[in-house]
Amino acid sequence: MPHPKTRHSLIVRLQDERNDQAWDDFVVAYEPFLYRMATRQGVPERDVPDVVQQVLMAVARSVEGWSDDGRDASFRRWLSTVARNVVIRFMTRERRQPSGGGGTSVIDLMKNVADEPAASERHRYDHELIVWAAEQVRSEFLETSWTAFWATTVDERRVADVAAELQITAGSIYMSRSRIMARIRGLIQDIME
Amino acid sequence: MATSAHNCDANLLHQLLQDSLSEQQEQWLSEHLEDCQQCRSLLEQQAGGVSEWSHVRDVLRSEIRLQVDRPAALRSTLLPVDRSSLGEFPPVSAELNIDDFAVDFLQPSDRTDVLGTLNDIEIHSVIGQGGNGIVLKGLQPELNRLVAVKVMAPQLAASAAARMRFSREAQATAAIVHPAVMPILTVHSDGQLPYLVMPYVDCETLQQRLDREGALSAVDVLRIGQQVAEGLAAAHAQGLVHRDVKPANILLEKGVDRVMLTDFGLARAVDDGTLTRTGIIAGTPQFMSPEQARGDAVDTASDLFSLGSVLYAMCTGRPPFRAETTYGILRRVTDDSPTAIPLLNPAVPVWLSGYIGQLMHKHSEQRLASADMVAETLRGGLAHLQQPLTRPLPAALQSHHVRPWGRLLLVAVCATVAIAAIVFRPKGPRSPENTGQSGTQASVAAESRVSDSPTDSTAATNPSAAATLPEAATQAWTTSLDEDLNQLSAEADTLLSAPLFAE
Repeated sequence: MPHPKTRHSLIVRLQDERNDQAWDDFVVAYEPFLYRMATRQGVPERDVPDVVQQVLMAVARSVEGWSDDGRDASFRRWLSTVARNVVIRFMTRERRQPSGGGGTSVIDLMKNVADEPAASERHRYDHELIVWAAEQVRSEFLETSWTAFWATTVDERRVADVAAELQITAGSIYMSRSRIMARIRGLIQDIME
Repeated sequence: MATSAHNCDANLLHQLLQDSLSEQQEQWLSEHLEDCQQCRSLLEQQAGGVSEWSHVRDVLRSEIRLQVDRPAALRSTLLPVDRSSLGEFPPVSAELNIDDFAVDFLQPSDRTDVLGTLNDIEIHSVIGQGGNGIVLKGLQPELNRLVAVKVMAPQLAASAAARMRFSREAQATAAIVHPAVMPILTVHSDGQLPYLVMPYVDCETLQQRLDREGALSAVDVLRIGQQVAEGLAAAHAQGLVHRDVKPANILLEKGVDRVMLTDFGLARAVDDGTLTRTGIIAGTPQFMSPEQARGDAVDTASDLFSLGSVLYAMCTGRPPFRAETTYGILRRVTDDSPTAIPLLNPAVPVWLSGYIGQLMHKHSEQRLASADMVAETLRGGLAHLQQPLTRPLPAALQSHHVRPWGRLLLVAVCATVAIAAIVFRPKGPRSPENTGQSGTQASVAAESRVSDSPTDSTAATNPSAAATLPEAATQAWTTSLDEDLNQLSAEADTLLSAPLFAE
């Protein structure tokens, strides 16, 4: 992953110090997702850091288009939206010409970045985000907790049946699946806030 | 339904999602949730609104459907593993079998009450064992001295690097002469298994004490903390970083007030051995500093963070960062703020919890200056507690800053109360905006369900308001808390004990 200094130098003319901080925080939260997203789009492993760098660069350059609407944390929210649009653009291109790797230019990624993407594209983005967050969260929980979450939430099986099968209590399933859900949402909020 | 509704505590649900419940509370809540539909719904709504549960469910489902067509490398790692392979990860090292160990490592002895001998030491019993090695109780007959012998685990002894570090660090530790550091009498680093000889002390570890008694009194926290800080100061003066300061490495001598820090050399040896290179983290990460958890270089400030975590554990009876897996703990250490101490134990003086917050600053350069200073400050705090009239609180414990945090915390607590009030609102009279629907939902919720998936939860509430809570409450404890907090926490208690759930 890029050194914090590299991250910082990506910024183009950020006059407000608070925005510098917001950018750094954003990159720290967003970068792991970008790595996973690029991999899942089929980018060859050696090209992944490049792609991540390009996406971040495109987001950073688009910062010039930002104007303060006076609302709290608006820079951060705006960053999240631009990043989403850049990633959507990347995913769309990647689908047309798979594993472009270094073939995608920052300028291409920045095109029409302010346009609201189509609902189906937003949907794909949300999908990637949730899958990524769930993958992160999974490693924080015991396999039994994850299995119980999956069985009762995704497969919608009865808690009592799953509890009996896994030899754990129904109460522990209620607790762990809500914890898992809260963590997934927390991770996504870190990016979307 | 909800037979035990009068026992409901909305605050517990909120704390559950922040992992800030004690084990007893978790146990209680787990049983309560089995009986109480209302709390189940509330918990699920605090974790995510109905639409969010179903959104996540739909995405995960479609991901599994979609990935059938994907190359294996691009598939997500979400599906639970086959149940037959469920269970804990295999332990890093198999537990030592003491009989095998005696046969392999000790010389046989004629005496039946002795396991064997190790050079000049008769080994009488095993005191304890762990991943790093085994601790034996022995007697040196010539000196008529009881000793504790710490033997390096065989899998570590196989690593030349680990052995080298072990002997170097053990010798360095032997140079620390301080009442608060467990002395090392002899080091044998060239045998089959390297070992250290220490005086035998009738003691228990701070961990054992916490397991038995839970949170300690402020006087004990300061007394123990001060001595640990002194021991660390002595080590730091020798250029040593302990790197494994935790309650299990703090010995409390029985019958006297003496506290000793132990386990210097092994911690370093383990850290530098082959284990960490394969990505396995040595020991429990619960008391690690963020820089250590990230694998960055550590200095003495890292020990101060761990000391702060130990003080936190003494104040609250639980480690500051908990999760189900090592990875989960590491993430919390680097990313999260622990639950504010006053919320877990209002009896802790605010100046003490504020000071612990300064020790546990995420950025090492912003922590307090040195173990020496920490020891002095804790000593002053102890004197103040014991003689409040003649000994003023040390300046370092009088916090002058960060008032807004107190207010933020109050906001969070009040919001919790408000949401609890909304959610647990008596169902009798229907509020005009919910006419019709909520009545139907309530009766549906009362029936037994074919599926009890959380997306079916139906009690009316405002999930988005609940969603913002954890952030606010977490932020509330970043650096230090001021005097407001004690009062706030008292106010919160009053608010929370109000009869919200009367039905």
